[in-house]
Amino acid sequence: MSVEEQVKDIVAKIVHVDKGVITREGTFKDIKADSLDIVQALVAVEDAFDIEIPDEEAQKFQSFGDFISYVEKQVTEKEKA
Amino acid sequence: MSPPLAGKLALVTGGGRGIGKAIALKLASQGADIIVNFFRHRETAEETAKDIEALGVKASVIRANVGNPAKIDEMFDIINRDFGRLDILINNAASGVGRPVMDVTVKAWDWTMDINAKAALLCAQRASKLMEGRGGKIISISSLGSSFVLPTYTVVGVSKAALEALTRYLAIELAPKNICVNTVAASAVETEALKFYIKEQLMPDTRQATPVGRMVIPEDIANVVAFLCSEEASMIRGQTVIVDGGTSIAPFVIPSKEKD
Repeated sequence: MSVEEQVKDIVAKIVHVDKGVITREGTFKDIKADSLDIVQALVAVEDAFDIEIPDEEAQKFQSFGDFISYVEKQVTEKEKA
Repeated sequence: MSPPLAGKLALVTGGGRGIGKAIALKLASQGADIIVNFFRHRETAEETAKDIEALGVKASVIRANVGNPAKIDEMFDIINRDFGRLDILINNAASGVGRPVMDVTVKAWDWTMDINAKAALLCAQRASKLMEGRGGKIISISSLGSSFVLPTYTVVGVSKAALEALTRYLAIELAPKNICVNTVAASAVETEALKFYIKEQLMPDTRQATPVGRMVIPEDIANVVAFLCSEEASMIRGQTVIVDGGTSIAPFVIPSKEKD
């Protein structure tokens, strides 16, 4: 499964929404996630990929697309290392 | 004369910013080497480590979500491997979900209790083993919400009450090992967390409201923590020391204003 699909799976499970409603253009606000959902989703994604997403970076995400792209970049860099 | 905590090693959970940072710097200024634990803010933790090193002691940073028992174990495995000992544990890391009682969910409860209460138990269990044979200090950071009702503070208040009760049990059980356990409870302290609470309207802006006429600042807490880490405080056991500028004992006092 691609990074994108895995991230969507994790977010859907934590926020209790159907995976289909999570799009690259969408935001946590769109799926009515509260601040705890967001931090738990970040932590779950970090653990799943063994990467780090500091709040300084997470705050820059404008959409799930930004979030997924960041994770993809981290995973690629990790594979290179 | 060497500084009072020279040669000691202290772990400050959530030590990158706010009250934890002030405690880390205070203990460092007294000669202790510091391990800064952080979770969400690496940059600020690394900046704090630099500030600590500028005081002439050693600093290291360890990332761990103390809300996750496995991550606590990983953190202490690293400390055990790299240092093989610990003299001071500061349970400072905290989180919380601000909601009225009737809106508290299982998820909000677990998240808050795991980080604010369970983590203190697990850290104390691991830390006390690293203090074996030499003794040590375990100080936790609580708040007035443990004893008083603050708006939407529900789960955090409950978690802090658990933390204070845990402090008493730890203090007695660890006394024979010469480990001194206490808690410092603060009223609202001027930190990023407080600004967030006020911004989200989870707490009224009472930033001038202590009988002393100024807010409690992180350094006020750090000073008391440092005292509790000193040998002079070794007969204080299992107590919660309140640092609030008198707020909690004077609910009807009109806050004084600083004279211009």
